[in-house]
Amino acid sequence: MRLATPLQIAAGPAWYKKPVPVTVAVDAMGGEQAPDEIVRGVADLSLTAEGLSLVLVGDERQITDGLGRLPHNPERIEVRHAGTLPRTSVFAAVDLLAEGRADAVVSAGVIADGLAACREKLELIPGVKSPALAAVYPTALRRGRNEDPFSLLLDVGATLDPGAEELCAFAALGSAYARAISRNPRPTVALLSIDEDPARGLPAIVEAHARLRAMPGIEFKGNLEAVDIPQGSADVIVSGGFVGNVVVTLLDGVAELVVDLARYAQKQRLLWRVGTTMLTGGLAQLKHLTDWEQYGGAPLLGYRKLFLRAHPRSGAQAIENACRVAAKAVSADIPATFAELWQSRPALDKTA
Amino acid sequence: MSAPAAPPDVHWRRSFRWDLDKTYLETEFDTFGHLLRTALQRADQKRAIAGAPALMREIRAAGAHRVCIISGSPRQMRRVLEQKLKLDGVEWDEFELKPNLSNLMRGRFRALRNQVGYKLPLLLDGRTRVPADCQEVLFGDDAEADAYIYSLFGDLLAGRVGVSTLEAILDAAEVYADQRKETLALVKQVAPGDVVQRIFIHLERRSPPVRFTPYGRRLVPIYNYFQAALVLFADGVLPPMSVLKVAADMVTSHGYSLASLGNSLQDLLRRGYAEVGAVTGLADAVEQYANLFDVFRPAKDIVEAFGRRLSALAENRPVLPPAPPAIDYLALLDDLHRTH
Repeated sequence: MRLATPLQIAAGPAWYKKPVPVTVAVDAMGGEQAPDEIVRGVADLSLTAEGLSLVLVGDERQITDGLGRLPHNPERIEVRHAGTLPRTSVFAAVDLLAEGRADAVVSAGVIADGLAACREKLELIPGVKSPALAAVYPTALRRGRNEDPFSLLLDVGATLDPGAEELCAFAALGSAYARAISRNPRPTVALLSIDEDPARGLPAIVEAHARLRAMPGIEFKGNLEAVDIPQGSADVIVSGGFVGNVVVTLLDGVAELVVDLARYAQKQRLLWRVGTTMLTGGLAQLKHLTDWEQYGGAPLLGYRKLFLRAHPRSGAQAIENACRVAAKAVSADIPATFAELWQSRPALDKTA
Repeated sequence: MSAPAAPPDVHWRRSFRWDLDKTYLETEFDTFGHLLRTALQRADQKRAIAGAPALMREIRAAGAHRVCIISGSPRQMRRVLEQKLKLDGVEWDEFELKPNLSNLMRGRFRALRNQVGYKLPLLLDGRTRVPADCQEVLFGDDAEADAYIYSLFGDLLAGRVGVSTLEAILDAAEVYADQRKETLALVKQVAPGDVVQRIFIHLERRSPPVRFTPYGRRLVPIYNYFQAALVLFADGVLPPMSVLKVAADMVTSHGYSLASLGNSLQDLLRRGYAEVGAVTGLADAVEQYANLFDVFRPAKDIVEAFGRRLSALAENRPVLPPAPPAIDYLALLDDLHRTH
C-alpha cells in the first residue's frame, strides 16, 4: 500500500479533502414510465455527471435488471430496495433526505404521496409556515443568464388557502429558487389576482401585495391576471394552492387543445395540411424550447431539503434533467438565500 | 518473454493472463490520432487503469501465481511497455506482443485486426508450460473479442467444444491457414481440464453487462479492479488484505471515494457475483487492521459504508438465472462481427 507522506497526513486524509458530491435520491417506481425510463435517466446521467452521487430507490430486482441492459457507471449509483409500490419508494426516498443521506429527491410519482412523505418526515425552513409546490410554465420571454423560457408558478396545490405571510414566504422562496436555477440575480415577482389594482382581490392577496411592495430583497411587480402568465410578465408568480392548481390544469388543457386542433387541421383540408407541414420546423423548435422534459421538474419549496417533482409522464431525458436541476438547487443553498430575503420582513411589518 | 521472477521449478497453481490496452492501460486507439499518440507516448506518460497495477502486485504476492501478458500492441512497443510495467512495480512471466509489422509486410491485413487467430493459439501455447492442474484467470476488456476468445479457450480445454466446431469457428473467423493449423495442433497437444476459473471483462466502453450473459457466470463483467479483487477474494484466490490494498491504491492514486467503492461492492452483490459472506469477511479484515486504515479513514466508517450498502438491498437475494447449457460460439461470432 502507498502510504501518505507526513505532509499529506498533516493536511488531512485525502478522503476528507475531496469536494463532497451532491447526492440525489430518485424514486424509481413513481411515474407512468417507471421503472424503465427512470432507471434509464439515472443510468445516462451516471456516465457524465461528475460530482453527483445517485441513489435509485425502489424494487432492487427491477432496477438491477434495468441497469444491466444499459451503459451506466455503477460507481455513482447506489440502489436502495423499497419494494414495488410507488408510495413505498417515495417514502423511502424522503427518508434518505430526513436522515441526511441524500440532499435532494426526484420523483415522478403521485404528488400527493410526495407531499405526504415530506410533511411527515421533513422540517420546514424557519420562517416558512407551509410548503409551496411550484410548476414551471413556458412563456414567450427568456429569463436569466440561462435564458430559461419558463416562469415559476407557486403554489399549485400544497397549501390551498394561504394567508398573506405565507404568500410572502412563497414569493421569497420562488425568488430564491429562480436566482439559483435561472441564474437570474433579481427575478421579478408578481401576485396572481383578478386585477392589477392592489386594493381588489382576496384579503390575503391585498395584504400580501402591501407587504411585498415594501420588501427590499424582492423585485415585486404588483398583481397580474392569468392572461399575463403565458406572456412571461413575471419570473415568479405567486398564488394560493387552490387557484394555482386550477390555473396550471387549465393551461395544460389549453395546450393539449391546441395540439388536438392542429391534428384536426391536418386531417381536414389539404391546404391546412400544407400550412401546418410548413410550420413543422418552427413548431419543433418551439417545442424544444418549451418542452418540460428539458426543464426536468419543479420543486416543493419550503423544506430544508429539496423535493423535486418530475412530470408524471417523465422519460429518461426529463429524469436526467430533473436530477441536474436538483443538484444545482442543492449547491445554491436555497434555504440560505430565503433566510437572507426573509430578514427584510421586520421593516415590512411597519408598513403592513 | 521477459523478467521471469520465480524459480523455474515452481509448481504453478494459477496463470493470470492479462490483455494490456484498455484492460491494464488507459489506451485510446479509436482514431488515427489516438493510435499515433499511443505509439509515441513514453513509459511515464502511459496511464494504468485504476487498481490494475495494485491487483497485479497482489496476485503475484498471493502465491504460486504466473502472470502472462498477451497484448495486441505491436512488438516494436515492447521496450516502452516493459518500462511502464516496471515503473508500476509489476512482475511478469510471459509477455507476448503482436507481430503487426510482419503481418503488414506480408500483406496479412486481416491479421492486424483479427484477435481469434492471434490470441487463441498463444493461450493454448501457454498451457504447454504449466502443470495440467494449473487454474486460469483471464483479464480482458469489452473493446474487442476478449470475452469470446477467453471463453472459447476455456471450453476447448474443458472439452465442451470439439475439434469440428473449432474448425468451423476458425473458418468463420477468417484466420489464416498457418494460424488455423497451429491452433488445431495445440488443441491436441494440451492437457484437457476444466481449468478456466474466472474471466474478467473490464467494461471500458461501459457495455451493458447483459451483453455478456451468453458466456455464463464464469465470466464477470467488471467496472473497476476493486470488483475483480472482491471476486478473487470470494473465490479464495486473494486474502482480504489484498482487496483492501487495491481499494486503498484506488483511493490514494485515482480519486476513488468510500462511496464509489461501496457502490461498486453493492453492484457486484446485486448482480450476484459476490455473496454476503465476502462483505463480512472484508469488514472483519478492516477491523483487524484498523490502525493501518486510520491514516485514510477511520475503519468504522469503511465498515459502516459497506454494511449500509448491504443492508439497503432486499433481504432475500434474487434467484439468479441458470448458466446457459452451452455457448453457441458460431452465433456469438456473428454478433461480434456485427458489433466490432
